[in-house]
Amino acid sequence: MKKELKFALYAIKKNIQSSAELRTSFLMNIVGMAINNIAFIIIWMFLIKSVGVIGGWTAMDIVGLQGFIALSYGTILSTANGLRKIADYTASGALDRFMLSPKNLLIRIATSSFGVSAIGDVVFGIVCMVIYSFAISASISQIFLVLLLLIISTITFLSMIILIYSTSFFFTDANTVTSGIFELFFTPALFHGGAFQGVMRFVFTFFIPSLLIGTLPVEIVRNISLDKLLLLIILTIFWFIFSIFIFNRAVRRYESSNFMTFGN
Amino acid sequence: MNNDSIIVSNLTKKFTFQVKNKASGWLKNLFFPEKKEIVAVNNISFSVKSGERIAFIGPNGAGKSTTIKMLTGILFPTSGKINILGLDPTKDRKKLAYQIGTVFGQRSQLFPNLPLTDSLEFFGVMYDLSDSDIKKRIAELIKLFDLGSFIDQPVRKLSLGQRMRAEVAASLIHKPKIILLDEPTIGLDVVAKKSLRDLLLKINREENTTIFLTSHDVGDVEFLCERTIVINHGVVIKDLPTEELSTTFVNEKYIDLIPENIFNSFPELPEGIRYSLKDKDKIIVVVNIKKINIQESLRKLLNIFEVEDIDVYNVDLETVIRNIYERN
Repeated sequence: MKKELKFALYAIKKNIQSSAELRTSFLMNIVGMAINNIAFIIIWMFLIKSVGVIGGWTAMDIVGLQGFIALSYGTILSTANGLRKIADYTASGALDRFMLSPKNLLIRIATSSFGVSAIGDVVFGIVCMVIYSFAISASISQIFLVLLLLIISTITFLSMIILIYSTSFFFTDANTVTSGIFELFFTPALFHGGAFQGVMRFVFTFFIPSLLIGTLPVEIVRNISLDKLLLLIILTIFWFIFSIFIFNRAVRRYESSNFMTFGN
Repeated sequence: MNNDSIIVSNLTKKFTFQVKNKASGWLKNLFFPEKKEIVAVNNISFSVKSGERIAFIGPNGAGKSTTIKMLTGILFPTSGKINILGLDPTKDRKKLAYQIGTVFGQRSQLFPNLPLTDSLEFFGVMYDLSDSDIKKRIAELIKLFDLGSFIDQPVRKLSLGQRMRAEVAASLIHKPKIILLDEPTIGLDVVAKKSLRDLLLKINREENTTIFLTSHDVGDVEFLCERTIVINHGVVIKDLPTEELSTTFVNEKYIDLIPENIFNSFPELPEGIRYSLKDKDKIIVVVNIKKINIQESLRKLLNIFEVEDIDVYNVDLETVIRNIYERN
């Protein structure tokens, strides 16, 4: 496992170097994504000013929500961006070269590409979390709780990316299908947490775990809810194991192809 | 002691895909599509000795790439067994990867934006080589493959010939016991092809690396491989020393004759030469070089026909394979 992680970090480093070779595109991607996120949160702030508190959610909760989501999204889709390319890899046969690697297939695929624009999300996420922590006057224990929740949120997001993009092995036009499923999972995660009540909350917690990456973490920090924290940890472990299981099953369906491909 | 590095027994691979039933409506086709099965590789068996150089040839769609992909663990066989250096690719894919090198002619495994040296280093790290071993091996490969003049160039700026040399070098970083090459000379010019063939022969001789190669290029087969396995429709139809396969196509040469104006008549040809095509604008003859050599046949043909241009060439591999297949 140590060798696998060492190689994963090395692969990420090489991918960053490779992306940074195209400097203009590298910087434009990062700055562009950060501006996009800032515009998004400004719209939310105006909305909350107009409608006031909904379901106990304040403007600062929205900042926290955006922080959790941007950080989990940015961390995974920068360092493990290869997962998002599984559909392309399977369609073109480019997955062959990862199957020929002596390393863990999932890690090899994940670290095969670096998502430059997601760095903008990471930067935005850090800024949000700093503002959020100051705004709620977070205690030391709350700061540790935030850090723990960031790890949990990132693992859940990673699990969902693995699960969603593993469906590429089952469909011919996998890009369309995976994009659709990703939107189904991710779009509700960005919504105002107070909007999810009753059946909606149940569905988006247990069946489509959108609320696990932002809404529940914010509520856990706000209410110091250990019950919810335990539930979140159990669900995260479940989704992680389930996603790895599905990936390993799905990859056996890979049929390769002979399209020309280039690059690592 | 068993000297076989590859043993394939009764290997079969079937693919299924959906087909549109024209008799059914679109709704039925959408929810209950018909499925069709094709047998890409059909119950093939062969073995390869350590250090052997094997050509695995056949026309497009014959099952060559599917077989090579099963040998490397990319595809799971429908049935049958594969044993490579004592390992089963379906179960020991990662362990096997340390023992084999692979080159797919139409697919690059290098970082396009980084210098070649970075890609070589990347593969060294991937195969768990120490820093000092990586440096030593890269230096060996630079010398062996003459990579020095472009080692610091980004891969995307290399010519196709340089890139293919680099691909093969990268696949050898961990000193594999077997190298599997799928169309390694595709798209290369004659100089680059020769250079690559020389290198493969060199690593086979110096490092006793087993070479398992698929190609449509007769030159690759003739120059590199001592044994040829011919596959068609997923079935092995010939497994013979390349010399024997060569005699099939070296015995015959084709000559294209282009007329100064037009050919008005098609007189009887000298013994050992026969018509393959009779056209006003072009004649193709087949020369049996066991009966008449090329110089003599050209002299006789030029006495018979007034020509503007002449082209002499070998029969292409597809034709050889087709002939062998038709005979079987």
